[in-house]
Amino acid sequence: MRKITYREALREALREEMRRDPSVFLLGEDIGRYWGGAFKVTDGLAEEFGDERVRDTPISESAIIGTAVGAAITGMRPVAEIMFGDLTALAMDQIANQAAKICYMFGGQAKCPLVIRTPFGAGVNIASHHSQSLEAWFMHVPGINVAVPSTPNDAKGLLKTAIRGENPVFFCEHKLLYPIEGEVPEEEYTIPFGVADVKREGADVTIVATLFMVHKALNAAAHLEKEDISVEVVDPRTLTPLDKQAMMKSVKKTGRIVVVSEDCKTAGVSAEIAAIIAEEAIDYLDAPIKRVAEPDTPIPFSPPLERYVIPDEKAIIKAVKEIA
Amino acid sequence: MVTTVVMPRLSLTMKEGTVGKWYKKEGDNVEKGEPIAEVISEKATYDLEAPAAGILRKIMVEEGVDALVNAVLAVITAPDEKLETEIAFEAPQAVKETEKVLASPAAKRLAREYEIDISIVKGSGPEGRIVEEDVRRFVEQSQMISPKVKETIPLSGFRKTSADRVSTSFRTAPHSTIMMEVNVSEATELHKKLEVSYTAIIVKAVAKALLEHPILNSTLDGSEIKLFEDVNIGIAVATNYGLVVPVIKNADKKSLKEIETSIKELSEKARGGKLTKDEVAGGTFTITNLGMYGVDFFTPIINPPEGAILGVGRITQKPIIVDGKIEAELVMILSLSYDHRVVDGAPAAEFLRNVKGKIEKTLDSEV
Amino acid sequence: MAQNLEREKLIGMYRKMLEIRLFEEKVFELYGQNLVPGTIHLYAGQEAIAVGVCSNLGKDDYITSTHRGHGHCIAKGADLKRTMAEILGKETGYCKGKGGSMHIADFNIGMLGATAVVGAGLPIAVGAGLSIKLRKTDQIVACFFGEGASNQGTFHESINLASTWKLPVIFVCENNLYAMGTRQSIAMNVENIADRAVAYGIPGVVVDGNDVLAVYEAVQKGVERAKKGEGPTLIECKTYRQKGHSRVDPAKYRPKGEVEEWLARDPIKRLKEKLLQTNTLTKTEIQRIEKEVVTKIEEAVKFAIESPYPSSEEALEDVYA
Repeated sequence: MRKITYREALREALREEMRRDPSVFLLGEDIGRYWGGAFKVTDGLAEEFGDERVRDTPISESAIIGTAVGAAITGMRPVAEIMFGDLTALAMDQIANQAAKICYMFGGQAKCPLVIRTPFGAGVNIASHHSQSLEAWFMHVPGINVAVPSTPNDAKGLLKTAIRGENPVFFCEHKLLYPIEGEVPEEEYTIPFGVADVKREGADVTIVATLFMVHKALNAAAHLEKEDISVEVVDPRTLTPLDKQAMMKSVKKTGRIVVVSEDCKTAGVSAEIAAIIAEEAIDYLDAPIKRVAEPDTPIPFSPPLERYVIPDEKAIIKAVKEIA
Repeated sequence: MVTTVVMPRLSLTMKEGTVGKWYKKEGDNVEKGEPIAEVISEKATYDLEAPAAGILRKIMVEEGVDALVNAVLAVITAPDEKLETEIAFEAPQAVKETEKVLASPAAKRLAREYEIDISIVKGSGPEGRIVEEDVRRFVEQSQMISPKVKETIPLSGFRKTSADRVSTSFRTAPHSTIMMEVNVSEATELHKKLEVSYTAIIVKAVAKALLEHPILNSTLDGSEIKLFEDVNIGIAVATNYGLVVPVIKNADKKSLKEIETSIKELSEKARGGKLTKDEVAGGTFTITNLGMYGVDFFTPIINPPEGAILGVGRITQKPIIVDGKIEAELVMILSLSYDHRVVDGAPAAEFLRNVKGKIEKTLDSEV
Repeated sequence: MAQNLEREKLIGMYRKMLEIRLFEEKVFELYGQNLVPGTIHLYAGQEAIAVGVCSNLGKDDYITSTHRGHGHCIAKGADLKRTMAEILGKETGYCKGKGGSMHIADFNIGMLGATAVVGAGLPIAVGAGLSIKLRKTDQIVACFFGEGASNQGTFHESINLASTWKLPVIFVCENNLYAMGTRQSIAMNVENIADRAVAYGIPGVVVDGNDVLAVYEAVQKGVERAKKGEGPTLIECKTYRQKGHSRVDPAKYRPKGEVEEWLARDPIKRLKEKLLQTNTLTKTEIQRIEKEVVTKIEEAVKFAIESPYPSSEEALEDVYA
């Protein structure tokens, strides 16, 4: 199968959906013909679809999302890009209070088919305002779906599902994933939400990981195999809805789980997953649930400091060995 | 060599046992395998056998005291050997409440499923934590003590009725079985000539003999023995769903041919599961034939509430001395089980001899 | 100006304003009887704005609304029964009892819903405007908000965006002098919100918000401009909140005489006088309209009170479409 990058996979999804459905349009800062997106995801799309459908906006995150909400409830399918995940804080009211609640608050009268794409993640030395992983904020708000693709294949399939859906989707990308290559079918496909993917099968310990951490978990698993520890890597692919069954199935097999997430440990993605396992699958656990996550600090700038806080293979291997 | 005698695990769920009695006292010689003590578990009483030969040097747990599984009950040494480290065999205390066991939730779940007290499982995890694998291993090892069950068939329906009946019969009627060899050379000729089965011939002979020995055609009802007027002979038929006994009513009044027809009809119905209630009721005596399975003789269980049952063995050629000459003759053995409360050995034997005579002289009798 | 309008249109405006006023008085009354859960923000005194704006709109046009939204709904054509039922938290309400007084919506008449976060409706209105532009229809969006919302970032972001993209949005600022208890002068150093339009390159108009015809005319110009593709207009309607911020607010922070002064300029009273003066309506006709409106509101109240509450399980529905 052909290989393309995560970035190209996202772009393909956008291009195909825009060709398929004229109500799909893009808006965001520097996504148009002059820049093509800060991470070049939308590069070339303005040339094909025009400035009306690939819309550069002023630096007004709240208005970007609010505008997308208004368009979504009146028949359009906007895909808004927030240049860095950290900046979603500026649009939080529109995401959490408006987009997420419109369907519910108005008794199901309105649909808000809006996609918000944004990159999270540390690792490129751009410090506290451009490096966070805030997926858990959005998991906490009912009414939004949260996608966390880790591969080009998942990125494309999930983005297409997000655009075609009837609900607001918070689509998390990761800066370090954009250049990663992976197999992506040339033919049409979508990936449903709420269906996890077992990225590697194993028997001794389950690792649940998302986004870039999936790759680190796979590296750790390959290393652990040499030490006769067989690791299964489960990638939920969407955090809302969350495929509890897949995680539970794996835990029932291995009896041990390490949850790896790049966000802060407290009340983070790993906290929620650990809680679910404790609540619903504790009878299958042979060891305490382990979490590998960022310490509760902002992301520091200096490379050694940043390396210190981002979960890495070493931390994952250590956690696995503690319970294997 | 010092050998310890420990409290054995006598069942999957056994946690502790009681020393009921010591058969030996300290200083006695014991042989390997010799019962040395009585051990009482929650389920039964067992003899504890000496694990080694030698002198029963020390008893650690007195009679009537509880001990945990694996607790040392006694020590056996060689005759000239001294027990130096007595302290190592400190007498165990009576069972204490188990402390909090360090076990993983998965191990606890599995222990629950197998109804095992998790505290008796040895842990292999960090800090001795019992993990799922430990419980699994424990179960596997335990299953070496109790035979492993491959499949469980519930005792229900037909099987249950049958089980209830035979156990009632066996428990209430003291069974006695006598066997007698019968020459069936004449019967064989008749069998070929009239194309009737041996069973039919035997039924006919039995029916007639019962008229002459009514005590075998009876039942014990409380404190009364009731002799039946009717001679209704049941034939045991093996079917896919179990044993059934259709009854040939008034067999004494039927011709051999009629009996043969009845047997055929009833057997067919029995195998098809189509017998009516009437067709299996009212029997006064039963005949069961295991000859076709190569059985020579056996001890059939009386079909309650009847008083006796006749078991038919296989027909085989045997050298028989007839008039001082060895002849190859066809013979079979009849086994008569009777309710000893109703009839004694001698009258039972007379009846059986009568049956034998009728079968051997088949051609003379009216057929 | 009144002379230019058809008689029927004028009578319709009067009727709508009266409906809003009597509806609000009824809500106030029901609240006193503990029939309205939560809180209420009444529109009494500001009727000329909602009616003046919506009289320019068709059924397909959109409005966005605020926590003080009953008047906007009624002016846009919402059913009084379902509106009242929603305020009472009933199953038959517009939102099945899940929105309440602050979150009424009727997407069938282009009422895109009331948001209770001050200033949150502005970008949504801009989005509806963008949607109109992309779908190439000739609809209009009217965005209601108070002077308090003009201090939110969304006000500036939204008007800037609508202006830059020349979207068909009328930004209707209802300046009722108070953001909750905060007088305008405490929160900003400009007298007219409309002056802020200069910053975004669009017309900013100040009108008497208690004169329905003045509002109507200003909005009409804004609509014409929008339909020509020239972009949005900011219309500031000076008005007054006749009641407190919410039902529990006695509004003691208001200077003496202010209420009386504004009550004298009551928009309904003014329109009624005008209709009589111009012989558009006779006293008898006005009495008849008043009677009809009273009956209609009584029916709405009866419907709402008699309607059942939603089943508990309804709480779990509609989280996702």
